[in-house]
Amino acid sequence: MSGTMVNQELRLDPAKAKLSSSIAMIMALISFSMLFATLMLGYFAFRFTSEVWPPLGMERITLGLPTMSTAIILISSLFYLGFESSFIQKEAKKSKLYFYSTLALGCLFMFAQTMLWSKLRSEGIFTGTSVFASMIYAFTWIHAAHVLGGIIALLFLLPTISGKRDHDKSLSLVQNVGQYWHFLGIVWLIMYFSLFVF
Amino acid sequence: MAFYEQHIHPKPTTFLSKYVFSYDHKVIGKQFLWYGIFFLLVGGLMALMIRWTLAYPGQAFPVIGHFLFPESGGAVPPDTYAMLFTMHGTIMIFYAITPILIGAFGNFCIPLMLGARDMAFPLLNMLSFHIAAISGLILLGSLFTPLGAAAGGWTSYPTLSTLIGSPGVGQTLWSLAIFTLGVSSTMGAVNYITTIICLRAPGMGYFDMPLTIWGLGLTAVLNAIFLPVLGAGVLLLIFDRVFGTTFFLAGAAATTGTGDPVLFQHVFWIFGHPEVYILILPAWGIVSDQLSFFARKPAFGAKATALAMTSITILSTLVYGHHMFTTQMSPLLTQTFMTLTMTISIPSAIFFANWLGTLWKGSIRFHSPMLFSMGVVFVFGLGGLTGLYLGTVTTDLYLHDTYFVVGHFHYTMAASVLLGGFAATYFWMPKMFGTIMNEFWAKVHFWITMMGLNGVFFGMMLVGYGGMHRRIYNPFIYEFTQKLIPINTFTTWSAIVMGLAQIIFVINFVHAVFFKKEKASDNPWEVGTLEWTIPSPAPHYNFKEIPVVKCGPHEFGNPNLNSNKDFQYQTEELA
Ligand SMILES: [Cu+2]
Repeated sequence: MSGTMVNQELRLDPAKAKLSSSIAMIMALISFSMLFATLMLGYFAFRFTSEVWPPLGMERITLGLPTMSTAIILISSLFYLGFESSFIQKEAKKSKLYFYSTLALGCLFMFAQTMLWSKLRSEGIFTGTSVFASMIYAFTWIHAAHVLGGIIALLFLLPTISGKRDHDKSLSLVQNVGQYWHFLGIVWLIMYFSLFVF
Repeated sequence: MAFYEQHIHPKPTTFLSKYVFSYDHKVIGKQFLWYGIFFLLVGGLMALMIRWTLAYPGQAFPVIGHFLFPESGGAVPPDTYAMLFTMHGTIMIFYAITPILIGAFGNFCIPLMLGARDMAFPLLNMLSFHIAAISGLILLGSLFTPLGAAAGGWTSYPTLSTLIGSPGVGQTLWSLAIFTLGVSSTMGAVNYITTIICLRAPGMGYFDMPLTIWGLGLTAVLNAIFLPVLGAGVLLLIFDRVFGTTFFLAGAAATTGTGDPVLFQHVFWIFGHPEVYILILPAWGIVSDQLSFFARKPAFGAKATALAMTSITILSTLVYGHHMFTTQMSPLLTQTFMTLTMTISIPSAIFFANWLGTLWKGSIRFHSPMLFSMGVVFVFGLGGLTGLYLGTVTTDLYLHDTYFVVGHFHYTMAASVLLGGFAATYFWMPKMFGTIMNEFWAKVHFWITMMGLNGVFFGMMLVGYGGMHRRIYNPFIYEFTQKLIPINTFTTWSAIVMGLAQIIFVINFVHAVFFKKEKASDNPWEVGTLEWTIPSPAPHYNFKEIPVVKCGPHEFGNPNLNSNKDFQYQTEELA
């Protein structure tokens, strides 16, 4: 096989460039998962070594706001799925609607989180109240910071939505942002069950 | 296989786009090299201050002591001593070794040795350097805060690192700097892995890659997986310090909490043990290649070496508990960790035997990179063997936190990685800067460094075996350590000699980069890997035509060579 022949074959297959960005996204998601896994390791270490849970006479957190947040972020994930499929089928109007709903729900999730933090404070639960309170604050902060990153990533899709960027070129961007967004939903679900439900 | 076509970008013309905000992996590699060398000198100076204090407690540090510590008459004060060993460790590990081996040579070698025009994500690459630069500035800034820099050791154990142990802002800035650097290294790691998977030249299978790339790739995998663990740890530490959470506070330290200081140790070492391999794997890869290049023989069992490095990478994730035998772990756990640790010696022995097999009956050319590579074989052998005593519970209980530990990890991480880094610098100098460094002075540099570092690190192991603890400002207030003063003095003078020898390197390096007129040839070492098929220094687009690979990287003295050379380029077909 001569060198020029191979290069010509490569030129015929530019779609493969997409693969490298999804490999990178998988590696990045592994890194993010390790960050949250370490936090969960801390949670389990405290949870299984303390005799009563929650410790130090703390009450459980009322489930209202966390459940609402869970619903918001899960629905936003569903909307993103809708956005992705309508984007692939080039249904501009539908995809726009789905996209802006995802974005709005993302912002709403952030709002619900700030509500949760101020509610905790009004109930006299501060970062130093107990290690359980520390975890609630720290974990939700870290997760919220990532959601903020997700919202910024969504904003990077705006040129795609308004048709200013080539459809095929932005497809992998749409898929990668989607993976990150769903990942944040999964992390929240784990946090919801470990910190608030059980 | 290269997955997609890589375009040739126009050559940058302005100073900023060429040297500061460059997308070119070679320039970013050089940026990391200068960054690393700068911090190497800072960390080295700190090491000399520590050594001076141990040999001559209470005496003024020569030349600059009176300027740095006027209140104590030029001697290093106790609190500053704690800052010095903390910052020395942090700087050497995260700001000198990591940028030089991974940042500089990872960036420089990966695309060149794979036959690619650049990294998979040049923008990410550039951001990775600039974030590392910000982190370096934060760390340097912490030296000038009111209560001084972090002083809780490079491991930063609570409660030393909580507000009780170190109330100053220095420790917070330390944590922030480490977190920032972690972000930078993770970005680099994602880039390296993607590049290795996607941008190998057509025809290049994984086992056709030079072992340097294997080492760098495995390092990147460990970085991507375990740096976030440390990231989470220091993030919680920052929260404890700034926002009043109680993760690592216990007992009287926390008014209400039930945090756990030992949790940080777990998190730190889950990251920390792989970190040891993050640091050493690139050096292993470089040495495995260079032993073959300069022995003019194929790398003995190259496939086995690659697989041994891979299995060490996997095993390294399961052994972290050997750092914590003295934290009242259950005997079941300590024995498990001990056994797992011992299994690492199997793959280590495999590639070590392969190194010796490569050298055996080779027609060795003792050029400076080869001297440094063989130096690595020697010091890593010593470092690896002394690790067995620390991985064994019974002996570790005695040796824990003594200077034996310090000597051991300096042999494995400092000595091996330093020599490996020098081997790489002397070796790739022609491809990076277009000139060869002076061979005579390179060899002088090698021999003084080699003798110096063995004096330093063997001396450390001796006093550690004698019972001298690490991190004590003046160990000689205890009677039993007073007999160790002569060895400590010897160690210190070895360190001073070794430190002075680095001036030879710096002059040689700076001269070769900026002043040397004589240009290097395209392939001065007569090696067949892809980076030697292009001109020296490498042009900004690397390869005019993406090369097609037809054989492995170590085809020396193969009877099927089809030219009158004793090596062949990876682009040439065997007869
Ligand atoms: Cu270890």
